[in-house]
Amino acid sequence: MSNKNIENLENRIMAKVISGEVKMKPKLYFLVGSTLSFVGLIGLLIGAVFFTNLTFFLLRKQGPGTWRLVQMLESFPLWIPLLALLLVILGIWMLKKYDFSYKRNILVLALTLIIAVILSAQIIDALGLNESWSKRGPMRRFYLNCHKPNSVKSVACLN
Amino acid sequence: MDDNKTKTDEEIVELVRKGNKELYAHIIHRYQTRLVRYAQNLVGDSDRASDAVQESFVKAYINLNGFDIRKKFSSWIYRIVHNEVINIVDKYGKNLRLDPDIDFDGGINIEDSYIKEELVLHAHECLKQMKLIYREALSLYYLEDKSYDEISDILRLPMGTVATRINRAKAIMREICQTKI
Repeated sequence: MSNKNIENLENRIMAKVISGEVKMKPKLYFLVGSTLSFVGLIGLLIGAVFFTNLTFFLLRKQGPGTWRLVQMLESFPLWIPLLALLLVILGIWMLKKYDFSYKRNILVLALTLIIAVILSAQIIDALGLNESWSKRGPMRRFYLNCHKPNSVKSVACLN
Repeated sequence: MDDNKTKTDEEIVELVRKGNKELYAHIIHRYQTRLVRYAQNLVGDSDRASDAVQESFVKAYINLNGFDIRKKFSSWIYRIVHNEVINIVDKYGKNLRLDPDIDFDGGINIEDSYIKEELVLHAHECLKQMKLIYREALSLYYLEDKSYDEISDILRLPMGTVATRINRAKAIMREICQTKI
């Protein structure tokens, strides 16, 4: 490329900058963007932990060993583990957007996230938090609807 | 004005962000030749390369407040150009033809003199036969004198992948160039 073309390139860009044809986005725009993305990621992870934990809770309550497999598949609210899985996938996708993520092996990152979600869910289950949530507080109704061992329509906890 | 010439890119960016718009010309001046050359190495068309670099500088200015001042501006601007080039390649794909008049000389010191020599002498013939992923790695390493760490930042790839791509690109380069000579 000739010097003249290079000079033109500089002049063309600077003309747009000086005239105000192109404007810098304010710092607030990036601050809000990164905050929302962080809050979104945390929200996804909390959701993933909650629904994984709920899956463990329901499995424990309904007991895969005490029911026949067909009966369990019919009554188990499968949307709960599926939603947990979806949230984990979305979490990994969001994590990939972060600046540091390409420096790490994505497989290791994904496995770490999955293990962290499962461990957190297990810890919550072991602490008996969902036992108390299912007995009192604003979550009681939700838990009661989800845990209906004799009902084929345990998807009622959607409502 | 002379005082600004001794400032780092990041210091100038900080001043531009504070309202000294005119200083953005220093940034453009420092990078335009290198960036146009890099874009040409990838798209092979000087007009499209020039357009990509112009668009990149405009995008960089618009998003200047999003740049993390603790990082290298050089890697950031190369990344923006890289994205623009990828857009062009996606858009025009097979219609892109390497311009035979492109000057590939990076004017830099390179340890692997054989690759450098081959790249400069037969760059057009050799590069055009390479996949984009190898072309960009080779261009950044040999012609733009970027370290593995910087290439990792520009291409958003782990260092191991960068090293693998450069090694494969070298092997492809030797193979292609040796058959040309």
